[in-house]
Order: sequence, then C-alpha cells, then structure tokens
Amino acid sequence: MTAHGTDEAAPAATTGAKPVTATRHLLAWVAGIGVLSVLPWLAVNDYHRFLLDLILINVILAVGLNIVKGFAGQVTVGHIALMAIGAYTSAILATKFGFPFWLALPSAVLVTALAGAIVGIPSFRLEGAYLALATLGLAESVRIFISANDYLGASIGITDIPPPSLFGLRLDTHLSYYYVVMPLALAGVYFSFCILRSNTGRAFKALREDPLAAAAAGINVQKYKTLAFVLSAVYAGCAGSLAAHMTPGFIHPNSYMLAEMVTLLLMVILGGIGHIWGGIIGAIVVTIVYDLTRDYYNYQMLVFGMVIVLTVMYMPTGIGGIIDRYIVTRRFVALRKAKGDAA
Amino acid sequence: MLLEVTGFSKHFGGLAAVSNVDLNVEEGEIRGIIGPNGSGKSTLFNLISGVYRPEPGGTMYFDGENVTNLPPHEIASRGISRTFQMLRIFSQMTVLENLLVGHQRHTRYGILSAIVGTPAVWAEERRMRAEMMDLLAFIGLADYATMPAGELSGGQRRLLALGRAMAMRPKLLMLDEPAAGLSPLNVDKLLETVLSLKERFGLTLIIIEHILKVVMDTCDLVTVLEHGEKIAEGTPAEIKDDHHVIEAYLGKEMKDADVRAFLRG
Ligand SMILES: Nc1ncnc2c1ncn2[C@@H]1O[C@H](COP(=O)(O)OP(=O)(O)OP(=O)(O)O)[C@@H](O)[C@H]1O
Ligand SMILES: [Mg+2]
Repeated sequence: MTAHGTDEAAPAATTGAKPVTATRHLLAWVAGIGVLSVLPWLAVNDYHRFLLDLILINVILAVGLNIVKGFAGQVTVGHIALMAIGAYTSAILATKFGFPFWLALPSAVLVTALAGAIVGIPSFRLEGAYLALATLGLAESVRIFISANDYLGASIGITDIPPPSLFGLRLDTHLSYYYVVMPLALAGVYFSFCILRSNTGRAFKALREDPLAAAAAGINVQKYKTLAFVLSAVYAGCAGSLAAHMTPGFIHPNSYMLAEMVTLLLMVILGGIGHIWGGIIGAIVVTIVYDLTRDYYNYQMLVFGMVIVLTVMYMPTGIGGIIDRYIVTRRFVALRKAKGDAA
Repeated sequence: MLLEVTGFSKHFGGLAAVSNVDLNVEEGEIRGIIGPNGSGKSTLFNLISGVYRPEPGGTMYFDGENVTNLPPHEIASRGISRTFQMLRIFSQMTVLENLLVGHQRHTRYGILSAIVGTPAVWAEERRMRAEMMDLLAFIGLADYATMPAGELSGGQRRLLALGRAMAMRPKLLMLDEPAAGLSPLNVDKLLETVLSLKERFGLTLIIIEHILKVVMDTCDLVTVLEHGEKIAEGTPAEIKDDHHVIEAYLGKEMKDADVRAFLRG
C-alpha cells in the first residue's frame, strides 16, 4: 500500500489509464497486507510485539484525529477523551455485563460516535483557539468524572478486562492480539482513504479553508462538521476499546490526560496535517520515538511541545507534505516552464 | 419570473447597506448591477445567496418557490450560484478539486458507500472528474487541473472562481465583478467565456461590474444602486441618459455632456 500518497494529484485527464492504477492499488494493498501479516514474527521479543500493537492502535487514533483536525480543520483537543469513552464503555460492558469483546467493541464505537457528535456541537459557533478551549473543557470533565466515579474505578482504574477470545482461544498474547488489531487498523486506514478521496473528504477540506465559500458552493457546513467529529470518534472509540482489552487488560484515567493529547497532536502535525498518510506516518514515528525516549519522561512533553511548534512554523505540511511537495512540485515546475505564465 | 426579490434590507450598525431593494429577473436574462463603491451591490448578493439574512419584510422567490431565509447551502441547492468579489477559491485544493466541490450537489452516491468505496462510487467519481475536466477545458484551465489553486495567476483565479460556480450547474449565476483587475484583452476573453457558458447551459445571469462598457454591451437590463437604494433600472440605453445615475457616479459638478461621453467609453 505504497502507491496512495500522491494519487490525489494524479492527472484525471488520463482517465484511460484507470484500470492500470486500480491494479497497482490492489497490488499495493496485497503487498501491504502481506508485510503486515508477517511483521510480528520478525519482532525480536514480546516487548516489540507489544509496541507493534501500540503503534497500530495509535494509527487508528491518529487517522481519526486527522479526519477532524487535518481535513475538516476543526481544532479539537477532545479526541483523547473520546478514546477514554471508548475504552471505559468497552471495559464496563465486558467486566460488569459480561459482554464478549466482539460485542463490547462495536458498542463502545457506537457510544463514542454519539459522544463525538456532542463534542462537535461547539464547533457550530466556535473556531480555532476558542474551539480548542471548549473541547479541552469537555475532555477534562470526562477525565475528572471518571477519576471521581467509583463505578468507573475512580483513580484505581479498571483491571482484569478480558481479552478477546476466538473459538475458545484467549487472545491474550501480544502476538495473537496483533491479529485483532492489525485488520482493524488496516480497515480503518482503508475506510479513511475512501472517505477522504470522496465528496466527503473534499467537503471537509473546503470547510477547513473557507466555510462561507463552501456553503455557497452547496455544502451543508454543520452537517459535515458533525460528520467529521462522528467519524473521528468512531476511530477513537475503536482505539479505546482495543487499548482496554489488550493484555494486561488495565485502564486508568491518567492515560487520557492532556499530555497524551499533545502526543496525539504531535502525531498528526508531524505526519502531515490534512495529508491522507499524515496520521499513519505520525503515529508510527511518534510511538517509536516516545518509546525510545521513555527514560527521559520528564523532558518528553517539553520536547514534544517544541517539536509541534517548530513543525507548525517551519514545515506546516509535515512529513507527508514534504514527500508530496518533492514529487508534485517538480512536475509543476516543469509544466510552468513549458507553458510560461499565462494571463 | 425566475428570481423575485422584494423589500430586501440590511443594516450594519447604523449604516443601511441595502435598503428596501426589489429585484426581479426573468429566465434567460442578463442583468447588470452597477453603483459606486459601497453602494450595496455585494451585500445584495450576500442577501440573495443566503450569506446574510434579510431584515424582516424581505421576501425572495426562486422558480416559484419561497426561499426567503434559507441557509446558503439550501439556496445553492436550488440552483443559485455565485462568485465572490474576493474570489474565495480553495487555494490549498487543486484546480480540479475546486470544481468538484462545486459539483457536489450532483453526486449520486451516499456517505456509506463512499466509506466502503464501492465500484459505483469509483464510477461516479470518474464521471464527475471527466465532466469537470470538460468544464476546465471550456474555461481554459485544463492544463492546471492538478495544480494547487493557490498557485494560479490572478486572471486564472478569476476563471477558476467562475468555473467553480458553473460546476454547480446553476440556473442562476451571480458574478461579483468578474473582470476586476483584468487587462482589457482579458476582460473581453472572460466576457466571451461567460457568454458562451450562458449559451451552452441556458443560464440566467446577474453581473455586478464596474467596467461600464461590459455592462452596457452585454446586459439586457441594468439596475443601479446608490447608498443601498435602487435609484434606477432600465435598458443600458435608458441608464446611460439617466440623470440620477450620472450624478451618482460622478457627482453633480460634472457637466452632463462630459458624463455621457465617459459612460459611452
Ligand atoms: N460585513 C460588513 N460589516 C460592516 N459593514 C459592511 C459589511 N459589508 C459591507 N459593509 C458596508 O456596507 C456598505 C455596502 O457594501 P458593499 O460591499 O455591499 O458595497 P459594494 O457596492 O459591493 O461596493 P464595491 O463596489 O466597493 O464592491 C459599505 O459601506 C460597506 O462598508
Ligand atoms: Mg462589492
């Protein structure tokens, strides 16, 4: 799955060449699935397999955040709370109501999607920093509510969340769990590609750039804002549920603090805000860097915050954007040269 | 009557940007709107396109339907399309994507099938892209289809704004100073493009334009605004000889003869 990044820029004039592109895409996906299927077997130890699971969960999370923040341009700081809602819903359903994972996960996704619609309501009236503040307020109240609620484990958290089982087999190793997470991550990425390349993706980008012009072009701005929040919440809910059921099956309100949100923002911004690959690249890079620098925990947030600021200032399109610019610009420079600057 | 606007008003603070304006436009007509700077032309467009709500008392019918107070996207979906004086193209999106956004209301697939990426979606996307490429070719921007719109030159941006408005396949197209800032040669080219689009798609047009020659040469009827009020309406020939218009444009001091000479270009 490597031929996707610059596809958006492929000249539509060459419609005749579409079947070739389709075959290439299919091949890319097959190759991608192949590599991903054997990846955990190449990992040297169980910790690396845990890291693989974590990366994929973060990919799901970041891809979702990129939809609402990167594409639709809604500055939300509430994404981590949506993940918490997914995780807690799934955990409560599994531990208190005996839901199997396969039922807890979709239920959690549903509940989180609803919560996403609510988080999105302030976006009808607020923009930019104000929207960030409003969503931050919502997010923190979710976390504080959890920390203070005994039924939700309060500040102790929830333990012994059962892992998924398949045909009586408990998927409680990082290796077996990988085969739960990986297909979901892959599906999530595939769906995001489809969404973002369709009308919906273009509507998101249009309302990010100029809501007024988008509305005048016939786009229902409130509908698409809500849709962006709900879609991103679906991803957050799924990631939350996956994180909850991963061995050792433990969740704690401190996993959903502002620091985690900053890390999440870093993934999207560094990977390429509004780039179709942004969340994916960012989640991989940041999760690995985060892990490598665990020993310097005290400085992590400082550095991450600085990297965010520097990225926004000096490479606003992130890694994805740099790759794109390299490929795309060269084509246009050639075109410009050939054409001269008309009009 | 395709468009029937009655009693539209809009104040900004104490300033009456548009006051009690009626505007009736026949199907197939080309209507010009002129007036000095700040006379309320763009505000009138904003009222018609739903960007601003008219003050109570104003009504608007389009194609026989009462569309008063509908939000902009609803107005657009009825077939009223507009350009902005400041263009407001989506500069980070490609030229082709700009048109596709405009064409959105004609898409025949839902969100769910888009998420799954069914073959029907791909087919529809191909149809849309092909159609929009046609339109791009028509306005002369086909070579720039995959270029970010922000990289276009000023004249090309004006064309793109026109193209995006046309991508909606509107019944009524409203252009806010489409030729502003163009060289005389490009003004003629743009005008030609607009007129051929009108022919090809059977449009009704409302054009705000400062370049009087454009208005006088192309419009069937001209409406003149001053200080938010409609001060005259008639054929270009009638407008040319209207005292109010002459005063509005050039102040009372100038002699009528000079003004007529000016208006005739
Ligand atoms: N959003 C706004 N807030 C406050 N005042 C406004 C606003 N929009 C327009 N105005 C004022 O309303 C009046 C009419 O403005 P409008 O833009 O409609 O004029 P116009 O006829 O389009 O002028 P121009 O030929 O310069 O484009 C002006 O005095 C302008 O300053
Ligand atoms: Mg104006």
